[in-house]
Order: sequence, then structure tokens, then C-alpha cells
Amino acid sequence: MVTLTINGKSREVDAPEDMPLLWALRDHLSLVGTKYGCGIAQCGVCTVHVGGKPVRSCQLAIGDVGARAVVTIEGVGATPNGSRVQQAWIENAVPQCGYCQAGQIMSATALLDSNPHPDDSDIDAAMAGNLCRCGTYIRIRRAIKEAAAKSA
Amino acid sequence: MKKIIGIVVAIIVIVALGFASWLLLGRDPMSFAGGSTVALEDYKGGNVTGVPSQLASADPVKRGEYLAHAADCQACHTAPGGAPFAGGFAFNMPFGVIYSTNITPDMQTGIGNYTDAQFLAAVHKGIRADGKKLYPAMPYTSYTYMTDDDALAIKAYLFTLAPVHARPKRDQLSWPYNQRGLMALWNVVFNRDERFRPNASQSLQWNRGAYLAEAMGHCGECHTPRNLAYGLDNHRKFAGALTAGWRAYNITGDKDSGIGDWSDQDVYLYLSTGHANGHGGAAGPMGEATDDSLSYLASDDLHALVAYLRSIPPNASDVPRTVTTPAPASHKDGLAAASDSRGEKIFAGACASCHDWTGVSPVTGYATLTGVRAVNDPSATNVAQTVINGVNRKTAEGKIFMPAFGEGYSDDDIAAVANYVTTRFGAKGAQLSDMDVANLRKQTLQEHKSVEAPNG
Repeated sequence: MVTLTINGKSREVDAPEDMPLLWALRDHLSLVGTKYGCGIAQCGVCTVHVGGKPVRSCQLAIGDVGARAVVTIEGVGATPNGSRVQQAWIENAVPQCGYCQAGQIMSATALLDSNPHPDDSDIDAAMAGNLCRCGTYIRIRRAIKEAAAKSA
Repeated sequence: MKKIIGIVVAIIVIVALGFASWLLLGRDPMSFAGGSTVALEDYKGGNVTGVPSQLASADPVKRGEYLAHAADCQACHTAPGGAPFAGGFAFNMPFGVIYSTNITPDMQTGIGNYTDAQFLAAVHKGIRADGKKLYPAMPYTSYTYMTDDDALAIKAYLFTLAPVHARPKRDQLSWPYNQRGLMALWNVVFNRDERFRPNASQSLQWNRGAYLAEAMGHCGECHTPRNLAYGLDNHRKFAGALTAGWRAYNITGDKDSGIGDWSDQDVYLYLSTGHANGHGGAAGPMGEATDDSLSYLASDDLHALVAYLRSIPPNASDVPRTVTTPAPASHKDGLAAASDSRGEKIFAGACASCHDWTGVSPVTGYATLTGVRAVNDPSATNVAQTVINGVNRKTAEGKIFMPAFGEGYSDDDIAAVANYVTTRFGAKGAQLSDMDVANLRKQTLQEHKSVEAPNG
């Protein structure tokens, strides 16, 4: 049994310690907003926050989470930057098919948490690992800048 | 005139004799310890060979299994994706390719017909059942120190395996290296053909460690540099060498280029799990050595290995002192900021999500780059190999995984990212070119069984 703090609540997961967090979220806790993409930390769709950092949940074993708080796409709207980012996403109609967008929003929020006013280069460095097959990158960049402007 | 010729001849003879004795001294892996050695049967300090006490009353096959792990037969005698012990692993040497042999008990293609004496001749002297010489890719110059009992226990274990019918691949060596008979000369100089002799001036633990390191684990075969004749040069024992396309690091007590600054506990953890926090994780051949061999050893044996390793005299090599402070959190800060932007772009897309811009992984200590020798090695050999081949280890604590990027990224890309990583996280940035990466790929090339793409 592994105890995790997810979106502010303590949750018990009856699973082996080497199970990836993504499996625990989706199959054991029914938090299916976080998606499975490549399974090898190369696409970014499974991004969640662990201890405030964006982490690919397909590679993080639940036994390695420790006391760090986990925030998923289901809970990120309750944080100031998460709420701003989601609002900017709606206003810019960022998603197309939407599959990668939970991961995009998690990475964008983590970026604003550590750097409230990122420039293009900061956005590239933080978001390069989040792929979007529909090519919504231009709208993602615009939405991040709008969300940053509102946090001023 | 005659006098001058006489003097010249005398000088040549003295130099030749000096060189010969230097070579001969260099072949003894344990002479650094000094003191006097005794024959095993005369040693009264306790059990140095065989299995640890908890296995002493186990059946011979169980003992053989433990010893086969300790001697790490499996790593080399198994092709990637192939049946264990069935051979076919490629050793890519500058003069051609040697393939490991099938040591399952198959009658036609394995060692099913080997008598005890033939098995001992192969292990101690490098002579096959048909009388032909083995190449020293088979570490018989190390295994020669193994007792007959231990070698035959390994044989007993191997003979319980299911026979696999797999004919060994033909070696592809250029002349004169394809003349196996020449190995007889090489053996005279480089194979002592002598069983382990305990050192009476050292502790039981040290002697056990020496037996495990030299006769069984054959650490020196990768970690000790070789001379021009490809014999081990124990004048620079364990000072590090390039083997099979990977750098086996300096494991002497040198504080900068060796492991002199590691705690005993770190060395113990690294040997038993292939990882110690702050020192990174084993990949490539050392990952195999951990997973197939060292992780099976009893803790007393691992402590003995640590004690032995700690006694190796410091020997500096060209890897600079490891940087132990993380890189800055922003990609804009830090040493690599002004370097080639291609490496940085690849790092941002493919690496940063696990390794972080600081080098301290939020995912697992295995992925932390800070303090890792590979990123502090200005040749970037192991960084490039890890990028090309990835890491895919199964350990007691779970899977240790990094994708293999070799097929998705060009030689140029891999050179750029290796140069970037060593500059940002290490002591001195590498200057790899695409040609260097192409060369590294060749050295680790194995014939993989074709694998279908998971979903087309």
C-alpha cells in the first residue's frame, strides 16, 4: 500500500511500489485526465506536478514519490496560475484534438510558477518536451503570454 | 671497435631484459599488495575461495550457480535478446569481430561434450576441447586464478541448463590476428596459468575480495589499461580503460579521477545495485555486470570486494575531478549557455523532462546527472553510448529505463547533445564530432533480432 497526496487529498493505492504514477492515477484512482502517450517520457502528455515540478508520470514509480504533493490536471485549476492558464487556453481556443493538452497545461503552469514572465526562449526550454501533433504551438505560446500578463 | 659493439649489445640485452621483466611484473594483478603469498592449501586464515558460508552446505549446482554469477559468465555468453549462455555476443575489436561461444550443454554446438579436464583447460589456459586456442576476450588470464573446485562447480551448474542448439558465429579477424596458434606465444607472456595464492600479510576479507575481483569478477579485464600486445598493464592497475566502446572508469583510490572520494557505503551500493546517490547509475557493460553478477553476491562478499578495491594504490588518469554542484535552474544560465544551440534544443525536447536543467532529476536518483563520472569525462564516451543505447536494466527495485536514441537521432545530433551535457553538467565539455559518434556506434554494434514496431 502506497500513500500519495494528490490534489490536496491523501490517497491510498494498493499497488506495487514500482508501478508508474500514471498507471496509479488512471487505473486505481480514476483520474483519467492525465493521458498515456509514448510511455518513455518523450511526448509530455502524462505531465503532472510532483513537489511543484513538472514530471512525466509514466516514468515516476509511486514508491519514489515520497512526501511530495502530486497535482494533476483535475486539481491544477484550483491553483492561481493553473486557473489563469486554463482561462487563457479557453480564450485562445488552444486545443484542436486535445489529447496532449492536459500535459501542455501542466507544463505551462509549472513554467509560470517558477518564472512569472517567461520570454520566448524560456517558453521553448520549458515546453519543448510537450509534443502536439495538431501543431497548436503558436496558440500555446500566445496563451502562456496572456496568462503571464494577467498574473502581473 | 669490438668493445663498442659489445657495449651496444650489452645495452640492448639489458634494455630487452628490463622490458621483459617489466612486462612480466605487469601481468601480476595482485603484486601491488606486496607481502608474501602462500599456496591455498597452506593458508590458515579461513575460506578464501568457493561460496559464502551460508551456501557451504548447498548442493553443488546451487554453489555453481552462485559462482557462475560471481564470474559473470552470462553477460558475455549471451547475445542481446538471445538465450542465456548460448553465445553470439559480438566483441568489436580494432582488428575484427570475435563472437562469444555457446556454453549451454548442447552436444553439437555447446560444451555438452566437455570433460572436466577440458573445461579446466578452457577456463585456466584458454584451450578449447579441440585443442585450439581461445582468444583472451575469454578472460582466462583472470579465471586462471580460479580453483579447480570452483570452476567445476560452475561446469556442474552450466550442465543443468537446457541445451540450446546455436552454432557460434565465425569470428571475422584480419591477418595475423586470425592465426589462433599465435596465442601460444601470447599465453607464455601474459597467462600466468597459476591458481590463486592468498597473501599472508593481508586479512581474510582482503583475500576473499582479491579472489572475487581477480579470479571471478575479472574487473581488470575492463578497468585495467592494456599494453600494445593487448595484455593487461597492471602497472596502472584499475586506472581505467576503453573497452567494448565504453569507458570503464578509474576505480583506484585517486581522489580526482578514481573513487578515492567515495565513501565505502557508496562503493558498496554501487556494486550491489549499480547506483549510488550522487554518483549516478551503471549503464552499458557495468550495468550488465551489476544485473548479471554483482547484485547476486552475498553482502559479506560485497564488503570483501569493497575492502580489496580500497587497497588499490591511487593512480591518476585523465578524467578531471567530478563537479558535484547542480547546474542553474534556467537554461539561460550556466556554462553551456553560449555553446552550440543544437545540443541545447535537443536537450530541451528529449532530456530535460527527466534530467532537469539543473541535472538533479525530479524522477529518480538514477537519472540525476550531477556528480556522475560520465558527464565529467571530457571524452563523453559513456554519455554518447548511453544516448545511443539507452538504459534498460531490471533490478530488485524495479526497472531502470532510459530510451535508446541511437536510431532516432543522427550522429551530429548525438555529438551535439553529448557536448552540451558534458559542458553544462561536467568539469570540461566534450568536443565530439559526428565521426566520433559513428565510431562509437560501430564499437557497440550487435546484431539485434528484428523487432516489430509496437503499433506500426
